[in-house]
Amino acid sequence: MSRPAARFLLTRGPEFLAFLVLAGIPLAVTNPYALGLLTLLAIYGILLIGLDVTVGYLGQVNLAHVAFLGLGGYAAGLVVLKLNGGLAAALAAGTLVGFCFGGLLAFPALRLDGPQFALATLSFAALSTTALNELEALTGGAQGLSFSRPPLLGLPLTPPAFYWVCLLLFGLVWLAMRNLLASKWGRAFEALRDSPIATDAMGVGAYRHKVAAFALGSSLGGLAGALYALNFQYLQPQSFVYELMVILLLGVVLGGRKNLWGAFVGSCLVVLLPNLLSNRHLFQAISALGFIAALAAGIRGLLKRQVRPFQALAPVVSMGILVAGGLKVENTEDWRKAIFALMLFSVVVGLPEGLMGFLEGFLARLFHVDPPALPAPAPLDEVLPPRRAGEGVLLEVRDLRRHFGGVKAVDGISVGIRCGEIHGLIGPNGSGKSTLVNVISGLYAPGDGEILLRGQSLPRGSLFRVARAGVARTFQNLQLFGELSALGNVMVALEGSYGTPLPLVLLGLARAEERRAQAQALALLDLVGLADQARAKAKDLTYGAQRLLEIARALARRPELLILDEPAAGLSHPDVQRLLEILRRIHDRGVTMILIEHHMDVVSELCDRVTVLDGGKVIAEGLPDSIKRDPKVIEAYLGGLPEADAPAPA
Amino acid sequence: MKFRLFPTLVLGLSTLVLNGADTVKIALTGPFTGGSAPMGASMRDGAKLAIAEINAAGGIQVGGKKMKIEVVERDDEAKNERGALIAQELASMGDLSGVIGTVNTGICLSGDKHLQEKGITKIICPAAGSASMTQWSKAGVKENSIFRFAAHDGIQAQMVVEEAINRKLLKVALMYDSTNYGVSGRDDMKDQIVKQGNKLQVVAEEKFNIGDKDMTAQMLKAKAGGAQAVLIWGIGPELAAVANAMAKIGLKVPLIGGWPLSMSNFIDNAGKNGNGTLMPQTFIEEPITPKAKSFIEGFHKTYKVDRIPSPVSAAQGYDAVYIFAAAVKQAGTTDTKQIKLALEDLKDPVKGVIATWVKPYTKWDPADVTTHEAFRREQTVMGMVQDGRVVFGNDADRQRLTKAAMSETKGQKAAPKAKKK
Amino acid sequence: MPSVVVAQMVVSGALMGLVYALIAYGFQLTFASSRSINFGQGELVMVSAFVSLTLTLHGVPYWAMIPCGMLFGALMGLVIERTGVRLALEQKSEGWILMTIILGLFFFSGAENLWGRDDRPFPTPIPSDPIHILGVDVTPLELSVGVGVLAIMGLIETFKRRTLLGKALEAVSTDRDAAELMGISARKSIMLSYALSGAVAALAGILVSPITTVGPTMASALILKAFSVAVVAGLDSGFGVVLVGMFLGATESLASFYLGSGWREAPGLILLILALAVRPTGIFGKAVIRKV
Repeated sequence: MSRPAARFLLTRGPEFLAFLVLAGIPLAVTNPYALGLLTLLAIYGILLIGLDVTVGYLGQVNLAHVAFLGLGGYAAGLVVLKLNGGLAAALAAGTLVGFCFGGLLAFPALRLDGPQFALATLSFAALSTTALNELEALTGGAQGLSFSRPPLLGLPLTPPAFYWVCLLLFGLVWLAMRNLLASKWGRAFEALRDSPIATDAMGVGAYRHKVAAFALGSSLGGLAGALYALNFQYLQPQSFVYELMVILLLGVVLGGRKNLWGAFVGSCLVVLLPNLLSNRHLFQAISALGFIAALAAGIRGLLKRQVRPFQALAPVVSMGILVAGGLKVENTEDWRKAIFALMLFSVVVGLPEGLMGFLEGFLARLFHVDPPALPAPAPLDEVLPPRRAGEGVLLEVRDLRRHFGGVKAVDGISVGIRCGEIHGLIGPNGSGKSTLVNVISGLYAPGDGEILLRGQSLPRGSLFRVARAGVARTFQNLQLFGELSALGNVMVALEGSYGTPLPLVLLGLARAEERRAQAQALALLDLVGLADQARAKAKDLTYGAQRLLEIARALARRPELLILDEPAAGLSHPDVQRLLEILRRIHDRGVTMILIEHHMDVVSELCDRVTVLDGGKVIAEGLPDSIKRDPKVIEAYLGGLPEADAPAPA
Repeated sequence: MKFRLFPTLVLGLSTLVLNGADTVKIALTGPFTGGSAPMGASMRDGAKLAIAEINAAGGIQVGGKKMKIEVVERDDEAKNERGALIAQELASMGDLSGVIGTVNTGICLSGDKHLQEKGITKIICPAAGSASMTQWSKAGVKENSIFRFAAHDGIQAQMVVEEAINRKLLKVALMYDSTNYGVSGRDDMKDQIVKQGNKLQVVAEEKFNIGDKDMTAQMLKAKAGGAQAVLIWGIGPELAAVANAMAKIGLKVPLIGGWPLSMSNFIDNAGKNGNGTLMPQTFIEEPITPKAKSFIEGFHKTYKVDRIPSPVSAAQGYDAVYIFAAAVKQAGTTDTKQIKLALEDLKDPVKGVIATWVKPYTKWDPADVTTHEAFRREQTVMGMVQDGRVVFGNDADRQRLTKAAMSETKGQKAAPKAKKK
Repeated sequence: MPSVVVAQMVVSGALMGLVYALIAYGFQLTFASSRSINFGQGELVMVSAFVSLTLTLHGVPYWAMIPCGMLFGALMGLVIERTGVRLALEQKSEGWILMTIILGLFFFSGAENLWGRDDRPFPTPIPSDPIHILGVDVTPLELSVGVGVLAIMGLIETFKRRTLLGKALEAVSTDRDAAELMGISARKSIMLSYALSGAVAALAGILVSPITTVGPTMASALILKAFSVAVVAGLDSGFGVVLVGMFLGATESLASFYLGSGWREAPGLILLILALAVRPTGIFGKAVIRKV
């Protein structure tokens, strides 16, 4: 069998088979209870895929998903009840309501992260329950809302038919999500989680992508809500409360984040767990299995020194409690929440990637599947066309100020960067170099002063808009997207390679574009000498390689002006030589650069002109050689010692 | 993935395999965990007490042989979704003779339709708002397999309003919790006020949420309106917060409301502020009759408590099992459809701890839900909180029940004779 | 509406709001040292209250029970730090949010099964008969809550400013790296802050229980409001939580009076979302500078 065919079979086969088996069950089993569970499985599958967008891809704890389930459900119910809508109308209403409320919440909430985001979403969920309860005229309040399932194309939706509808939607959502996550959208979501600042700096709007991701997740929540409503045909506000939310989180985390299969497995767990608990022997057997697994994993991890003792021990202890409890406690259902908690605890500590994350790693070792071959690198001229440097001043900074409280980090700096030059920016620690480039690149808004790029005022205080204006930068403290491959890091920043509209992306019609972007990104990796490590995760690269990757990523913006913030910091001597070589090649292609650097040899070797800062002010400017002899510079570096030798690198 | 499905199938099939041919299989459902657990669990425990008694006596006489009762327990967690799934599971069992249980109306609304479809006999017990039965009359169901064994809200609201009128009060405040139970209780009380001649003026109509601890604002509104009584419909410990808030702001008027006021979480937490609170009861934990005495003692001993968490639920669960057992015996089969027919036409009176039940149910009539309701006004009494216990609110009730029990014992000696209704 | 009624509600609400403030203060303590908070703090309040109740029922006198209860809270705080927070902080992930939720779930279930699902009264020697002050009814019990809250907050703030240990805590809050370079163990400071936070939560439970009764769900409503107070005031606002807490408590009472009691929770939630949208660092919080 040819390799692509084998790969297709191994990667797509299980999905296809699972779908067929699931679709076939109602033909063989007529038990309505089993059918009810399967229907719920499909509905929760959609719900958890939606939740995974925020929890997995954005990496935020979202406690509002249950509210979208409820709001979507009520929207669908009301459309059926009050407007006599059909199935399609009900589903559309649920999705739309999820989308709208998700967007509405996302605007304020996504300016936050971490605990504040979790709290904002928690409050939203509580507020929506209150509203559903209080708007009695519309929702029936606590009495609930009863309605019956509308027919589909005039045919009544029997339980198996409804199940097929749910399963079909689950399948479609699965495919669409897979296509989306394999496109630039999925990469942007992952980039966001690892470094929102770098995402912005690469011209990919962090905020707008966050809002889009959240709205997408919420609309899936709304769709699942609509199906949920049509399934139970009865809704009450108190179904959609914190407890259910915790169970949903349990599903995503246990199944595995950032993983469609994880969402599916999570949904199986959520649906089947109550049954599992009501059968004591089954529960004892499973907890014993869990204990053995935790023990084996713990010992293995400790022997291989991959994990800390706590990570190995805690799951064993918690599964041990579960086993002991299972033997001692009469009624396991009474301890349901504690059981959830112990299972979750073990998985979060011991298998941070979830069951499927772990299993996939295992299966990948077992059936080694080569990833599809990468295309040949595009010609560099296509990716980074050589440009004529042009004449005159590219960037002009006039009397720029930025104070933090009493600290005048940048205090009236004026400097001009000429087209095509490499302009060095040096100064002792705390002299304001980094603040200056942070203000130019939009991380901080200037307190006062002007920044002009080709005579046009540069946007202020927005990394994203400055990046779009043609300025790219690297970071002194690396801001790579650690979970993405080296290739992925560059592809995030590739400007102008993506034009396929979203609907076509969802349909999986962006493949050609993807290949082209891969080829271009490879060309850039080739430029910095990382082409052979294209598939390695950025966090696994050596420090030197990471520095180079930042440069390749910034180049993908095709910048007019490239700001390099201490690219040589921490590099070994051979690496510095390699860096010099690469920077020269980039310079040859007509890219203007600002170089902040402490290595004086790098500065003197590369820079056409140098500006020296101290105490937030320019103290000298000129050719590298003349700067070295400037007494003011020597004083700034050496504190006024009269020796006239070259200042030592800091 | 097939592995994930496997447990489902096993669970589904195991129920088919397990069915012992010689048992009567009854499902007990209700919230055994969570906020309304005192009711659900007391019902379950009362029912299991009755089942243990029946099994100890060899079981139910079905046709030619004695069959023991086998119990399937399902905790619906007071969640509609769980309730619906459990109903589907029970409906698919095939050999189930009947279901007893459910506290929350929402679960009747989301789940009972699955039982109805399969014609599985269910006795709703111990609570559930009016909607649990009216849904069938609204749907115009011809054959109804759902019965109720609880003093329905209609009767209780009637008694609550009566009590206020009997006390010659004019202005009342209505308080209710934001659950389905509370809201439908509010509607029932308002209905009854109109039905009983609009003698009461509602000066405040206030809601509280589950989990609320501070009711000062609501009670101030009642006080400002000059309420002479607070009529209350709620399900949980928030009721005690109301009593405490009344004491705090000096609103010294009677608190009258639905039967959850008799539960320990009200009595304990309101303390002395709860004294004098009135509520309809189907059973008072006082050994005034021999049957009641043995039931109360049996419960205390079996479950190692000195007070039943919810005596009403326990007693109703107990009686419901006996009524169901009588129907099985009369039907002479474990077939749930035959049992339903027998329930609609019980020949022999059933001696329970609440009363002796004579023809509790009749043939279903969509126009009259009381055909499937066991409780009438006379099986309910007014209870009153007194120093940590519920006692008879009106001594007349106590005497009536004692007398009835005495004449019954006498009557039994002479000749078994039906008495009530 | 007569102004006395309004005054009554404002006073009642504000006193209740002080409890929110105290729990919110517990969030601040841990947030300052570690940028993390315990999402299961409500369960900690509840479990501590149950333990205190058990002590009381076993004959421990009220005044001796309070320090015991707080000690238990502190221990639980340490347990949470060790099992739920430390690993995630070391890995610089936000896994602690999920972990503390999980631990809360575990405590909840444990309490449900050990102490039962019913709400139980909490005996106290402080009388609950109302006294009249300027036409407003206040119970000594409610006043004791106010006094207790302000006293413990005052005590901890003094501790932070006057003692060496407290100053170390402050140092870690201000600049963790610099503090470590000065030889202050950030880990120990975080442990200390979690212990303090646990003790504060326990005290909140002990103070509020006589009014609200003790039950597994006793803190679920409280905690949501404490979250609101902490975030609206700012997670590093110090005494700002007191003002916001009292304001929120009073607003809630007024909202349930004028809008209908079902909307009682709404002001806090809306306030929270608004505050986050307009000023994510809170009204009294300090602005954060993004660093790269």
